[in-house]
Amino acid sequence: MAWNPGEDVVAVQRAPKPGGAGGAYRAFGETLRGLKTTFGRMLERPVVYQYPEEKVPVYPRFRGRHKLHKFADTGLEKCVGCSLCAAACPADCIRVVAAENTPEHRVSAGERYAAVYEINLSRCIFCGYCEVACPFDAITMGHDYEMSDYNRTDLIFTKEMLLAEPLERTPLRTEDE
Amino acid sequence: MPRPERRFVTFSIDGREVSAPEGVMLVDGAKYGDVEIPVFCYEPKLGAPVGACRMCLVEVEGIPKLQTACSTPVKDGMVVHTQTDRVREAQNSVIEFLLVNHPLDCPVCDKGGECPLQDITFGWGRGISRMVEPKRHFKKPLELSPLIAIDRERCILCYRCVRFSQEVSEDYQLVLNERGASTYVGTFDGHPYVAPFSGNIIELCPVGALTSRAYRFRARPWDIEGAGSVCTHCPAQCNVEFTVRDERVLRVLARDNEGVDDGWLCDKGRFAYQAIHSEERITEPLVRDSESGELVPATWEYALDVAAAALQAGGSKTAALAGGTTTNEEGFLLQRVVREALKSPHVDSRAGLPQVDLGLQQALAAPGLQATIPDLEFAHTVLVLGTDPIDDVASLDLRIRKGVRRNGVKLAVATSRPSALDPNAKLWLRYAPGGEHAFVAALEAAVTGSGDLSALCDAADADPKALEALAALLKDGGEDVVILWSQRLGAAPLPALLNVAAALRLEGRDGAGLIEVPVGGNGRGLREAGVQSNGGPGLSAPKAPGKPAREIAAALASGDLSTLWLLHADPVRDYADRRLWERAAANADALVAHATLLNDTLREHATVVFPAESYAEKEGTIVNLDGRVQRLRVAIGRPGAVRAEWQVIADLSKRLGLDLGVLTGPMATRQLVEAVPFYAGLTLKEIGGRGVRWQEREAASAAPAAPAGPVESGEPLPAPRPNGALRLGTYRPIWAAPEVEVSPALKFLAAKQQAELSPVDAERLGVDNGAKVSVTAGDATVLAKVFVRGNVPAGTVFLAEATAEQSATELLGEAPQLVSVEPYGQRPPVPLEGLARGARPSDDEVNS
Ligand code: SF4
Ligand code: SF4
Ligand code: SF4
Ligand code: FES
Repeated sequence: MAWNPGEDVVAVQRAPKPGGAGGAYRAFGETLRGLKTTFGRMLERPVVYQYPEEKVPVYPRFRGRHKLHKFADTGLEKCVGCSLCAAACPADCIRVVAAENTPEHRVSAGERYAAVYEINLSRCIFCGYCEVACPFDAITMGHDYEMSDYNRTDLIFTKEMLLAEPLERTPLRTEDE
Repeated sequence: MPRPERRFVTFSIDGREVSAPEGVMLVDGAKYGDVEIPVFCYEPKLGAPVGACRMCLVEVEGIPKLQTACSTPVKDGMVVHTQTDRVREAQNSVIEFLLVNHPLDCPVCDKGGECPLQDITFGWGRGISRMVEPKRHFKKPLELSPLIAIDRERCILCYRCVRFSQEVSEDYQLVLNERGASTYVGTFDGHPYVAPFSGNIIELCPVGALTSRAYRFRARPWDIEGAGSVCTHCPAQCNVEFTVRDERVLRVLARDNEGVDDGWLCDKGRFAYQAIHSEERITEPLVRDSESGELVPATWEYALDVAAAALQAGGSKTAALAGGTTTNEEGFLLQRVVREALKSPHVDSRAGLPQVDLGLQQALAAPGLQATIPDLEFAHTVLVLGTDPIDDVASLDLRIRKGVRRNGVKLAVATSRPSALDPNAKLWLRYAPGGEHAFVAALEAAVTGSGDLSALCDAADADPKALEALAALLKDGGEDVVILWSQRLGAAPLPALLNVAAALRLEGRDGAGLIEVPVGGNGRGLREAGVQSNGGPGLSAPKAPGKPAREIAAALASGDLSTLWLLHADPVRDYADRRLWERAAANADALVAHATLLNDTLREHATVVFPAESYAEKEGTIVNLDGRVQRLRVAIGRPGAVRAEWQVIADLSKRLGLDLGVLTGPMATRQLVEAVPFYAGLTLKEIGGRGVRWQEREAASAAPAAPAGPVESGEPLPAPRPNGALRLGTYRPIWAAPEVEVSPALKFLAAKQQAELSPVDAERLGVDNGAKVSVTAGDATVLAKVFVRGNVPAGTVFLAEATAEQSATELLGEAPQLVSVEPYGQRPPVPLEGLARGARPSDDEVNS
C-alpha cells in the first residue's frame, strides 16, 4: 500500500540541466554582474580622503580611544577604582591602583578612587570589554582613532589624559551615510 | 586526652553513597561525596557551629523540616538531598534575605573578587532582586580599631567575628549590640577592638564588613599573587601567605597548618610585613668613612673588602652572634666561617641567656621526649613553665586556650609574672623572679616525693600547697602531660626539669613530652645548626668551646676579643645588660653587621653594615619549636642592592681564604643537611609547604644519645629577698620589636615601658596607674609608667625588655636583681579605666 506523506512533503528545487545558452549565461552572468559594479565605479570620482586634512567619519558605536568621565554636576570622577575593567581586559593592558577618598581630598563619589589609572594603548585590542565591565559607566570607548606616536611609552595613557577631552573631535557619520 | 578515634559511616547524598567520618557535620561529610553545600557562619576553626545564617539548609529524609547541614552530624544510613526544589527555594530565599540590607557596593568593597557572599549569590541565588525599599544605613566606613575597618551595612550577622573574640582569642571584646534588624557588631562601649589576635577577624568575615586598614584599597584579587612562606617574627613560625603586588608585600594571610598555627596569626605576624618596605630599610652596603666618621654607602666589593679585612684582623679574637630571624643555612655558614676560617670558637645565638651544658641539651632534645604542638591541644595536662605564650610565642596562646575550652585539657601555669592564661588555668602558681631553679627543683621534689619541698618552696617564694597540687595534677591527671617551658628559665633548672619529665615517664610517650620555647624566631634551628658556643652542627661537641654571648660582651669590653660580627642580632637592645653591651660595641675594634634597619649601635659603632634580606625575600629553612623543619620561600625580589645572605657570607669567606663551596641557596641547605646527622637526607622537596618534624623521620635515630639516668640538679640559690626593695622580673612584650616600630599600622602598639606593681606596693609607694616611677638598680635607672595589676605578687616589679627606650635590660646585670622604685616627678591625674586597655586585656580586666 502506497504511503501518503500528507503535508510533510517538501519540494526539492533542482538545478537546471547544464548546457545551452542558459547554461552559458548562468556560468558568466554573475561575473558580469560583478563587473558591472567594477566598471560602474570607474566612472565615479575617486574616494580618496585627504587624511589627515580630511577624516573618515565613524559610526556612533565605533570603538576608539577610551574616555574616562566625570559627573557633569559635581565634577567628581565616575571611576571608583574597582579594577573590574582590568579584570575584564583580555589584553591585560589596564592598571588601576586605588586609594581612599577623604573629606579634604574627594576625587570620586564612592569611598575609593583610582589614584593611578593607566591604559597601555599599544596593547589594547579595542574590544570594549572594559566599557562593558564598568559598573559606573566611567570608562567608555570614544571615537578617537588617531593615536600614533613616536614612542611606545607615550602610548600609556594616564588618568589625566583619559579624562581630558580629545584635542580634535572625530567626525561622526550622519544617519544615512 | 587521646585524640578521638574516627569511625566511618555511610550515608547517601543526592543519590550518592558516601562514607565519611562519624560525627562530622553534613557540610564536611558532603565534601567526601564532592557535594558542595554553601555556608556563611560555619567555620570549624571557631568550634561548635551556631547555625546563624541558614545558608546550609538541606533536606534530610525522615525529618519534616529542612535542616542546617553545618550543625547536623552525619549518621549511618542518612538520606540527604541538596538539589530538590524545596532546598533551592530555601537557598534562594536566604540569599534574598541576606541581601535585603546589603548595600551591594562590591565595586568599592575590598572583599570584592574574593567574597563568599558574591560567590554564593552567584551560585545559589535567584539572580534578581525584588527589593525596592530603602536599605538599612550605618555610618561608614568606621574604624573598629586602628587596624580594622568595619562597614556595618555589609555585615550579614554571621557571628564569626564575635565567636572568635569570645571563644577563640577570649578577649571578650566584640559583641553584637542591639537586636533584630538593628543588630550590629562592635565593642560594647565603642572602644577600639585592640587585641593581639584581632586581625584574624578580617580573614574570618565572609563579607567585606571587616577589612584591613593597612590593605585598604591596595589591590584586587586579580592584581595579586600569593606566595607561601613562614613568619619569623617569633618562634611560633606560623605559616603565612604573602599577598604580593608589583614586588611589594601588601598583606599577610594565614596558611592553615594544623601542626603549627592552627590557621591563626597574631597581629604582629599579620601587619609587621610593613617593615619590609619601610623607608628606613637599608638597601645598600654602608661603610664607615674614615674621615667623616659616618656610615656612607659603598659598593659591594669595597664593603666586602673592608669587612673581610676587619674580620681577618680580628682572627681568633672575633665573635659572631646570630639573631632570631637567621635561617639555619645562614647560621650554619656563619659558624663555619668563624670556626674554620677565623679559627675562633666564639659563636652564639642564645640571646645572651646562660650556656646550657651540651649533654643536657641533647637529653632535652631527645626525639622521644619531644611533644608536638598539636599535643598541647589533646594532652591531659599542660604545664606552662616560665613563659607567657602571648609574648614569647604568640599563636600557641590560642592553641592552649583551644585545648582547655574544647578538649578539657587541664592547664597549669607556673610563672613569675601573672600570665594571660591564668584565667583558663586549673592551677596557677607564682614564684619569685630569680627563683626559677628553686621552683623547678621544688617541683621535682613534689613529683618524686624526695627532697625538702618546703625549703625549696621557700627559696623560690612559692606556695608549697600549690606545688603539691601541681604535682598531683601532673601525676594523677592522666599520663599525657606536656610541659611548655621557656629558654628564659636559664640553664640551672634544666636538670630538675629533666628529672620531672623522667618521673612523669614522658619519654617515648606519644602525645606527651616537653616543648621548649626558644628566644628568637629560629632559636631552635640555630642551635641545631651549630650556632652556639658549646655546640657544633647537630648538637655535636665543637672542637674548642667558645664564649657564650654574655662572656663575649665582657671580653669585648675588656679587650680580650676585638671584633664583633652580627647576623640580624641586636645585642644592645635584646640581650640582658644593655650597658655592658654598649661598652662592648664601643670598645670593639671592628663591628660587622648584617641588618635590615639601622639602630643607634650600628650608626655609632659599625664598621660595615651589609643590607640584609627581609624574611619575605629569603630562601632557607628554619626549625619550629617541636622540631618541624620549615621552609622560607622567596616572595618578592630583593630591594636595591640587597644580596642573598648566604652569598654575602660565602663572598666574605672567600676573601678570608675559605671556599665554602656554596653557589646557590639550596647548596647551603645541602651542606647543612649533611652536617647535621638527624637531618640526614632531608630535601627541600620533602619539607615542602607544610614542613616535616625531624623526629618523625628515620634519621632521627642519629640524634645524639643523651647521658642516661637522673641528672644531678645542684643546689638552687634562693630568690633574693626584697627587704624593702623590690625584685625585678622582666619579660619581652610581643610589641617590643623594631619591626613593630617601623610599621605604620602597628606603630601605635609599640611597647612602652611600664612598671607592673602589685596594689600593695603601689599603695606603699603612693603611686597610682599612670604615675611615673623610676626604677633603679645600682647606678642604672629606668623610667616607667605604673600599671597596677591585681595578681602581681607583692614585692616584685615587672618591667619590659627590648622596648625602644627605657628598656629593662639596662637594669639586668648578673641576675637576680633587686631594684628600688621611687615616684618620679609630678603624678599626672589619669583615671583608672582606659589606661589598662593596652595591647591586651589584662587578666584583672578579664576577672573583674
Ligand atoms: S578595549 Fe579591550 S583590550 Fe582595550 S583596554 Fe578595554 S578591555 Fe582591554
Ligand atoms: S562583621 Fe563579618 S564576621 Fe562579623 S558578623 Fe558581620 S559578616 Fe559576620
Ligand atoms: S605568632 Fe609569631 S610566628 Fe605566628 S604570626 Fe605571630 S609573630 Fe608570626
Ligand atoms: S552555615 Fe549553617 S547556618 Fe550558617
